Amino acid sequence: MSASQNLIKSSHLVSQGAEAASRLSFPCLQKYQCPKVYKAHLTPDSPPLLLKYRFQKQYRHPSLDVNLTRSRIAGEARALLKCLRSGVNVPGIRMVDATEGVLGIEWIEGQSVRKLLPGESEGDDEGEGEVGEEPTDEEKLDALKEYGVSIDQLMSLIGTEIAKMHLADVIHGDLTTSNMILRRPSSSSIPDIPTQTQLFLIDFGLSYTSSLIEDKAVDLYVLERAFSSTHPDSSLMFTGVLAAYQKKMGEKRWGVVKARLDDVRLRGRKRSMVG
Amino acid sequence: MQSFVFDHIPNNNIAYFALYSPVQNPAELKRRIIEAAKIEGEEGDKERDAVNFAFIDASLITSKLHLETAIYQAILAESQGSLRTKTVHSEILFALNPTNNITEAIRRYGVSDSTKSLLIAHITDKSKSSSAIEEKLNKVVDGTMVSFKELDAITDWDRIKKYYKLEKESKEKGAIQSQRSFIDNVVVSSVAMKTVMQ
Repeated sequence: MSASQNLIKSSHLVSQGAEAASRLSFPCLQKYQCPKVYKAHLTPDSPPLLLKYRFQKQYRHPSLDVNLTRSRIAGEARALLKCLRSGVNVPGIRMVDATEGVLGIEWIEGQSVRKLLPGESEGDDEGEGEVGEEPTDEEKLDALKEYGVSIDQLMSLIGTEIAKMHLADVIHGDLTTSNMILRRPSSSSIPDIPTQTQLFLIDFGLSYTSSLIEDKAVDLYVLERAFSSTHPDSSLMFTGVLAAYQKKMGEKRWGVVKARLDDVRLRGRKRSMVG
Repeated sequence: MQSFVFDHIPNNNIAYFALYSPVQNPAELKRRIIEAAKIEGEEGDKERDAVNFAFIDASLITSKLHLETAIYQAILAESQGSLRTKTVHSEILFALNPTNNITEAIRRYGVSDSTKSLLIAHITDKSKSSSAIEEKLNKVVDGTMVSFKELDAITDWDRIKKYYKLEKESKEKGAIQSQRSFIDNVVVSSVAMKTVMQ
């Protein structure tokens, strides 16, 4: 058995079952290509890792499978590094085993934004298995207080982080509130400096590099739709996200993205195929 | 002498490492490693065994995690039979360098005539004890073994910034501590993803 297989055996699954519901969730819309997520340690003393395992698909020819897995891991790792270099808050890369399909990234201790915002419509968790009891809206607001930020501040953190990512020409491709984690203030990597609560963007599995206005506008549109479907009465919240995005991008860049976002809202994510 | 134990790796899963600062004989050490590669026969095997370590310029290492990541990627490559250099120890140097040029990796990250501090690593299995390795190491290196914590004062952040082209980006981080933690994170991530870089 290979090294990475053993590593996975020694770690525990977080993306399925009750554990996942409390911390991380990768809503598997495309269930068939959803990677499994584990928490692991390389050595007993080293900091925890999040392993993202793209297991072998039996329905694919083995050599095609290896190639696809390899290029997806490479793509995700490159996007992460590009974000890191540009100062976007994303988890650092800790190990890569492209042959086995394992990507190990920094473990961010915290809570996904989806679990911190009020109003998660219940039907959303279909197929996610045994989801534990959902906290009520009041409990969520209390949890948010623990992080020392208000909803408005959270929205502005989100907008700023997305703007930083777009300025680096990285398109996330799957912006939702589940793919954002608010890190606990105490769990910073450098203990000497008191750091404020930080927002981390995760899951760059569908990301790509592009400088097109269209792609950035669609990225925002996808998030807007995610907001309105998971958090009712969220239009005000999303306005806060855009305000922070505008501030970080600068008036000139924002003007063009805004115009395109209005277009996209009228026609939807897909470009018209007519003509 | 400290160690990383990777329990899930089947063979050669222990990496012993120690920080030596200052080192008195870097030039001799370098010459000896090069000579060892050239000697043939039994004598050559013996000499190669004597210098069978990864000699890393400690001033280019940012943190323990940085070292651990490079060692792990090297051990992983060995366990899969996908080493791109001749030994697992040279693979560590290769993993540390941002480009794919092996000569450059060894010139930058290996021992040179001007090296003042060395991080020395040895990858092995459970059969060897740390004292046996330490004894072997002390025969080759003329220097003082110090605690790993001393690395903080040894790291040459400016050179690392240059190799990773991070001068502009790190300046924007403000305080020196946040600059360093930023550089460390980028450097560790680059080492970890080297196999899928390009």
